[in-house]
Amino acid sequence: MTRAKLDTYREVITPEGVALHLPACGPVPRALAWAIDLSVRLGVLLVMLMGLGLLGGFGQGVGLVVMFIIYWIYPIAFEVLWNGQTLGKRALGLRVVAADGGPLGWLPAITRNLLRVVDMLPFGYAAGLIACLSDKHGRRLGDMVARTLVVHVGREHMPSLAPAQGVYPVPPGLQPDEQAALAAFGERAPQLTPARQVELGDILSPLTQARGHAGVLRLYGMANWLMGRR
Amino acid sequence: MRQEQFVARHQGEWSAFEHWLDLRGDARRSRGQPNDTGIADEDMPARYRRICDQLALARKRGYSPQLIARLQQLMQRGHVLLYRTPPPRWRLALRFVLAGFPRQVRQQAAAMWISMALFVLPLVIMFATLQARPEVIHSIMSPQEIAGLERMYDPGNEERLGRDSGTDWQMFGVYVMNNTSIGLRTFASGLLGCLGTIYVLIANGIGIGAVFGHLQQVGFSDTLWRFVVGHAPFELTAIVLTGGAGLRLGYNLLAPGRRSRVDALVEAGRIGARICLGAALMFLIAAFIEAFWSSIETVPAWGKFTVSGVLWTLVLSWLLLGGRGNTDEA
Repeated sequence: MTRAKLDTYREVITPEGVALHLPACGPVPRALAWAIDLSVRLGVLLVMLMGLGLLGGFGQGVGLVVMFIIYWIYPIAFEVLWNGQTLGKRALGLRVVAADGGPLGWLPAITRNLLRVVDMLPFGYAAGLIACLSDKHGRRLGDMVARTLVVHVGREHMPSLAPAQGVYPVPPGLQPDEQAALAAFGERAPQLTPARQVELGDILSPLTQARGHAGVLRLYGMANWLMGRR
Repeated sequence: MRQEQFVARHQGEWSAFEHWLDLRGDARRSRGQPNDTGIADEDMPARYRRICDQLALARKRGYSPQLIARLQQLMQRGHVLLYRTPPPRWRLALRFVLAGFPRQVRQQAAAMWISMALFVLPLVIMFATLQARPEVIHSIMSPQEIAGLERMYDPGNEERLGRDSGTDWQMFGVYVMNNTSIGLRTFASGLLGCLGTIYVLIANGIGIGAVFGHLQQVGFSDTLWRFVVGHAPFELTAIVLTGGAGLRLGYNLLAPGRRSRVDALVEAGRIGARICLGAALMFLIAAFIEAFWSSIETVPAWGKFTVSGVLWTLVLSWLLLGGRGNTDEA
């Protein structure tokens, strides 16, 4: 029996039969991205309107058309033509993808952005926020209808070499995900403070039979052993 | 196999794939460029599937999350590239406007008729009421609004029809922004179980009926009809169409039938996006006519009505006949 994990990723099986893990994004980064977009849009609009204001009635007419484009078309066009990212989403490292992990098409992009009208109700994206918080993958109403998902763009982690050279054999009977956790500790622990390394290592003292710094070194050794460094 | 050996064996392959993605991933930028990445473009799917295999192996064997993350990132980039949406083409866009859109509208005929009834009935009832009891206008519009309305359509106003002030271009902007936004919101608010769409349709029907009824009553009918007949075929029809799309969305939420609610909504969302695309085009045409043709004071009534008749015929035959017979659809 597998226990439910706390991770927020959405697992999608691709046609090749491999599970794709999409790290779904919660409301706060999305709200920040939206705020950045809003300021960019208002800024562009303001500059355009000041320039066009000099042209009289013609300028005002064009200004309203620009307002229409910035209000309705900006998010749709950016998301389809720029890998699912508006300027704000790019700044926050977010991306809109189809729910199956594929790129965003025109129709879903139109649907999800038109339905902002409903997500904004009754004020300040309240409906969208409630939907986002209650949905397993943080989707607002527009995302559900368009079958899209906002995900974090993966940051490249450079696996650092384990600081300890020693090798320590792993007790038999560890499950693959447990082995993976050990290997992950070996690669990521060097980025943590020593105190935190010890704290994490002490949780595994039944496995390492050691506490404190010695336990951490043994965990590094096990990670090295699992990686095949001999 | 231990992770280190696994990485050592396949590292080169991954770097080569990544290199290919960097250089050849964007079809537009790499067109015409010589391919010196070591992977022929047609070999990419095979390479991609190998990476998928290796990712599955790495997961199964419990390799470190960092390695899996790297493989998954490579795979995802390949996935996005292989399954990307085709770029928009002018021919496809034209075919959508001429055939796909009318077919989509006819496919949703029931929703469209209901939407029309919700819009036209309040309009006609309001118009008729104001002919019999003109004072009703005061319970709908404020005195300032009535005064502004009468100024816009005053036959003594020599310059332009249907506006207080403002140039053609300025009014074009106003019409694009306001009318199209109303249309798009009519669709979107259908997600509130049809209620939003029904409200917008009835409110607009009453509003337009009140304007028409009042102007007819005070004797400005000549300027009124000369102004509105030109763009009515596009604007009124587009409102009805976005309304129909909104009703379809709300109906699928309330009664999904033999599908899950989300599947029904996704279906209605696709339909709605297509209809809104076509309707936005109709609003654009309507705004153009409204700003540059409808407002011309010098064209006599028979000229305006003839053009209107031609446009109504065009719009209706487009929606009723467009795309009949051929069913090839992307």
